[in-house]
Amino acid sequence: MKKKSLFLQILVTIMVLFFLAGSSYAGEIQNKLVSESTIEQVLKRGVLRVGMSTFVPWAMKDKKGELIGFEIDVAKKLAQDMGVKIEFVPTKWAGIIPALLTGKFDVIIGGMGITPQRSLKVNFTVPYEYSGMSIVAHKETAKGFSAIEDFNKPEVTIASRLGSTAAEAAKKYMPKANHRMFDDEAQAYQELLNGKAHAVVGSAPTPVFHAIKNPEKLFIPLKETFAKEAIGFAVRKGDFDTLNYFNSWILVHHSSGWLKEREHYWFETKDWESQVQ
Amino acid sequence: MENNPLKIKALDIILGLILMSAAFYIFYRIKTGLHYKWNWGVIPQYIIRYDPDEQKWVSNLILQGFLTTIRLSIWSTFLAMIFGTIMGFLRTSTSLFNRLAGTAYVEMIRNLPPLVLVFIFYYFVSDQIMPVTGIDDYIRGLSENSQAVLSFLFASPRYFTAFLSAVITLAVFEGAYITEIVRAGIESVEKGQWEASSALGMSKWQQMRHVILPQAFKMVLPALAGQFISTIKDSSIVSIISIQELTFQGMELMASTYMTFEIWIVVSILYLVLTLSCSLIIEQLERSL
Repeated sequence: MKKKSLFLQILVTIMVLFFLAGSSYAGEIQNKLVSESTIEQVLKRGVLRVGMSTFVPWAMKDKKGELIGFEIDVAKKLAQDMGVKIEFVPTKWAGIIPALLTGKFDVIIGGMGITPQRSLKVNFTVPYEYSGMSIVAHKETAKGFSAIEDFNKPEVTIASRLGSTAAEAAKKYMPKANHRMFDDEAQAYQELLNGKAHAVVGSAPTPVFHAIKNPEKLFIPLKETFAKEAIGFAVRKGDFDTLNYFNSWILVHHSSGWLKEREHYWFETKDWESQVQ
Repeated sequence: MENNPLKIKALDIILGLILMSAAFYIFYRIKTGLHYKWNWGVIPQYIIRYDPDEQKWVSNLILQGFLTTIRLSIWSTFLAMIFGTIMGFLRTSTSLFNRLAGTAYVEMIRNLPPLVLVFIFYYFVSDQIMPVTGIDDYIRGLSENSQAVLSFLFASPRYFTAFLSAVITLAVFEGAYITEIVRAGIESVEKGQWEASSALGMSKWQQMRHVILPQAFKMVLPALAGQFISTIKDSSIVSIISIQELTFQGMELMASTYMTFEIWIVVSILYLVLTLSCSLIIEQLERSL
């Protein structure tokens, strides 16, 4: 009996020790995770590095060579709220996710639509903006087109930007058409103006702006946007603290109405045009 | 050098007319067929603009890109010379292993498209090396003055590591061509020179340094200078890894302003200014040799 109880005591003691060690070990891991999260690194460095790509009116260069746009306002406000400096890293759209994964910046704030495939590679925050695809067509080559079905033909050429959700949407909604991808949106629109493409698919409101700019050549065949998408920040996987911070930040500014107000300024007015040209 | 006074013959006039009309036709096509709205008025401000806040002229995007291209070309050529010289020695070495190592390097690099090479190098090689060196934190921790010096010589602290990666990538690429130039230079020195210097009791290294290299260098100088021009042109490739050089800045501007033609034309002219002035300098150099 006595022997047994001694044995039990020893066993229990050992188990308790194990638990204590285990829990302190877990605490250590937790501390390590916290200190290694991107947010902590940013605060330590005093600089938030944001990956972005030029995308009118999300982000563009003004006359002074400074970056302006909806996205730029969001990133600046974010840095201001964190109490750090902001650094933009202009990156080619096609290589923006690899650049994030290899740590060339801390977060992508670049009008990136949340898609299942992208979510396998990066973590997205809750949406801070919603966008839809719109289509702008050439008055001569796409005469009388008024529905998506009109564009879904093998003889129709549709231009879009490589790696963008617009390109994916174009392929999904018009699988039969002939698709041409360009590195930048400007090239896609030039192709359309030259009459080499029937239409360009892009995130609203840019296609509409182009139709307004070139009324003698372009028109908007569909009144409604199609393929609605949610736009979020993208961060590296496995970094819960950072994701949580950004989510909270977005929620705060959704409820304060600040995001709504900025969105109205950049997407529904043209007051900013004079800053660019 | 004979001095032929220029004589214009009938054939020259006809050819000239054909070329002129071809040029006019192209311009006409652009004017009528493209319906392109030219807007040259806004271009100068993107090169250089007057800043009313600071009361002085400041460089804008295109000029900044232009300067970055120059920095990139100079440092890459400098580094490529070092790579090329070492590898050139290996290629002409007597040991089989050295020769194989040199050959492997040259053939690998020369037979890959530069674009592919740049991508592989940037995302795989330099990403593994740069963080280990801790260079990014070191640069950010420097004083204002040293940062200013570094910005002038290389790039501003925020783009420093990317710039360094680009320089190394370009240097590795151009180094393969310089290796071949160096090898050709060394092999062009006649065998008798080796034998004579060896008869004087010089070691291998002394032979290289005092006899062979000075002669080889004179031979390959024009080719090396030509390679420098190639480096300037190839530097536009690193725009795909988002280095802020001339091509990249031009593309960014196009994405903002949609002025495709004007910006491409300005960018081409700037490249031409750079490469043509280098060509002229090389010509002078060749004459003086």
